[in-house]
Amino acid sequence: MHGDGKQAEGIPRKERVFQRDPDLPLPEDIRERVFELEEEGEWIVQRVPEPYVEVPTKYGRPKKVPLQHTWHHKSCGQCGHIPGYSTAIFWLHRKLGLAYDDPKDQTSCTGWNYYASATSNAAAQAAVAVRNFAAAYATGFFPLIHCGTSYGHYKEVREELVKHAELRRQVREILAKLGKPLVMPEEIVHYSEWVYAVRHEIAARRIYDCSAITVTVHPACHYYKLVQGDAIYDPDIYGGQRTAVVTAVATALGAQVKDYSTWFDCCGFGFRHILVQRDFTRSFAVGRKIETMIEEAKPDVVLTHDTGCVTTLDKSQFAAQVHNRKVGVPVMSEAQFAALAMGAHPYRVCQLHWHAADYRPLLEKMGIDWREKWQEFEEDLERIRRGEKEYLTWEDVEAEIPARHFLQVS
Amino acid sequence: MASDVVLVIGGGPAGLEAARGAADLGAKVVLVEERDCLGGTPVFERYAALTHGFQDAEEVMNRLIRDVTAHPSIEVKLSTRVVACDGEVGDFRVALARTGDGASETVHVGSIIVATGFQHFDPGRETQVYGYYEYPDVITLADAEAMLKAKKFVRPSTGLPPERVCFIQCVGSRDRQIGNEYCSKVCCGIASKQAIEIRQQVPNCKVYIFYIDMRMYGYWENEIYWPAQEQYKVNYIKGIATEIIRKGDKLLVRGEDTTLGRPMEVLMDMVILSVGMEPSKGTREIARILGVKQNKYGFIEVPHEGVDPVATSVPGIFVAGAAAGPKDLDDTMSMAGAAAMKAVAAVRKAAVAPGRG
Repeated sequence: MHGDGKQAEGIPRKERVFQRDPDLPLPEDIRERVFELEEEGEWIVQRVPEPYVEVPTKYGRPKKVPLQHTWHHKSCGQCGHIPGYSTAIFWLHRKLGLAYDDPKDQTSCTGWNYYASATSNAAAQAAVAVRNFAAAYATGFFPLIHCGTSYGHYKEVREELVKHAELRRQVREILAKLGKPLVMPEEIVHYSEWVYAVRHEIAARRIYDCSAITVTVHPACHYYKLVQGDAIYDPDIYGGQRTAVVTAVATALGAQVKDYSTWFDCCGFGFRHILVQRDFTRSFAVGRKIETMIEEAKPDVVLTHDTGCVTTLDKSQFAAQVHNRKVGVPVMSEAQFAALAMGAHPYRVCQLHWHAADYRPLLEKMGIDWREKWQEFEEDLERIRRGEKEYLTWEDVEAEIPARHFLQVS
Repeated sequence: MASDVVLVIGGGPAGLEAARGAADLGAKVVLVEERDCLGGTPVFERYAALTHGFQDAEEVMNRLIRDVTAHPSIEVKLSTRVVACDGEVGDFRVALARTGDGASETVHVGSIIVATGFQHFDPGRETQVYGYYEYPDVITLADAEAMLKAKKFVRPSTGLPPERVCFIQCVGSRDRQIGNEYCSKVCCGIASKQAIEIRQQVPNCKVYIFYIDMRMYGYWENEIYWPAQEQYKVNYIKGIATEIIRKGDKLLVRGEDTTLGRPMEVLMDMVILSVGMEPSKGTREIARILGVKQNKYGFIEVPHEGVDPVATSVPGIFVAGAAAGPKDLDDTMSMAGAAAMKAVAAVRKAAVAPGRG
């Protein structure tokens, strides 16, 4: 996964394999202050439940990623626009037999309000974050954040709360009115870190061959450009020079990850552009990302790990098609791709019919008969129309998967 | 009993000059160098020309090395590390260990000069957006020095001369996000010097320097900066590059041209990262062993830098060169001279009045 790796002979250059000097001072580890504040009686720290996986982060520090007993902080944009995203995450948990909680009392993080309209304030933003943390703590399950915006925003809130006693006082007063304690999780964990942590278990349960699938990866800005220190960097992926999360999953599944020149660019969503400069977003997503990927890598699918990135890269192609731009590459989360590879139903679970770009050539290349699956899904809808069911449930989903692929859900 | 020996730790420019200076003042000197040769970073990293005066670095260093090795009052111990130290001014006992055979000995010295230098910032540690570990045609100032010295300035990926090269300044320096707020002082001068050398060696190559500010101290302004532009047609562009990515067989440098006030994207054959200075591993180690204070960046702290630029937190232990922070060669040699004087004075004072160095 190292660049082009070419090297002309006779050039006086050192071998370039990055190795972190263990003696060099590292930037501050905010987690140490989180525990110190607990000792000072400022808040409760919710520990990462065992079993957890320790993953490597940007500065070489380990980060604990819980395997189960996770409280799923869902994403507004995923649930509203691409619901197969969160369903795929839950489906993976069920197939791996890992307990999780899908809470009904979670609120939006209000991050878009913060980024786009600036009508909120620090205390209100922080209070929303810790309200959700307190709700998770009450269940005994550990927060797992689906949305990149929420994840990045909560890390910023953590830093603000750690560094400002006045802000802690303000949110403690708000929480007191709600009858909730001030709780800070030991780690703030993004769902893609969980997928990274279980990628080999996923790969071992893969039933479709991904080796012919060319993938381009879009790493989410909210994930690794905000509060960079605890994003996952793996020496085996890009030599530890880029965040590893999605790429590690794609390669574990056997797919071919291809590089493209605008990998570092935002998807076009921006932190607020999708709301306040939407035409710019659409143009950027198509011109800078999708068309570049197609020109340089010819991907079968674009994988990413954030709500805004999937929606922007996918749905921006719809408008571009009207203008005869060279677009038409499916975009989904690595969780959806992993679920497909493990045999998840493309409509009942991954809900690809919500996606704008044509995903069917990808399914065909993976060996998934989308016509048959669509027929099954239409029959589901017919049952709902007939009043036999109000909506689809996990029973409908799991009945579809061949028995040999089941794991017992704990 | 007080010792009249001065121990110099480090065999680079500062250590060599300090040893020579102290010996010329009549002291006995033991010079300890961890590597198996003298010369320090200019030799080890194969520097081409010195920034000030464009003298051949190897020739200059060889003269200095000859002066030291031929001096009857200087004992040079190569492949040797300091592993422990106790005592006080006039009466330090310093344990040495030889790498390889592991032989050890203790030397009794009256004062110590630390000249353990710096290391180049590693762009893989923080500024990964520049792709140093991903793209062979992204190199550092040190890599470029070695190529210029070998008179073979070519694209590492192809072995062919480049047509477009750019420097990116302040990589690992003046960066609050990574904690290196300081200016490394020499990078602007070195980049401009290398730009001239590239133009001399590869006349058809266009050279660009992306900078925040060009900090051309003293005579560098007239000796390097203006000739680079007027005589050698080097293009200086005010604006910081944000990332480097591969585009076909070229490198695409992206950033902002702050003069024009707009984003820029330019294709290059090679990119040279002007990496700054950080304390060397040896500097960090020796500070711990000797018990001298370090500043927050890990350099050896100089408590009264303005008026006493070579003192450390421990009486009788002095510092010279980039072990005390970013220094150019002129500063380094001046410090080495001052440290030699102070170190010799310390052993003489201690001989007269022990404990009052």
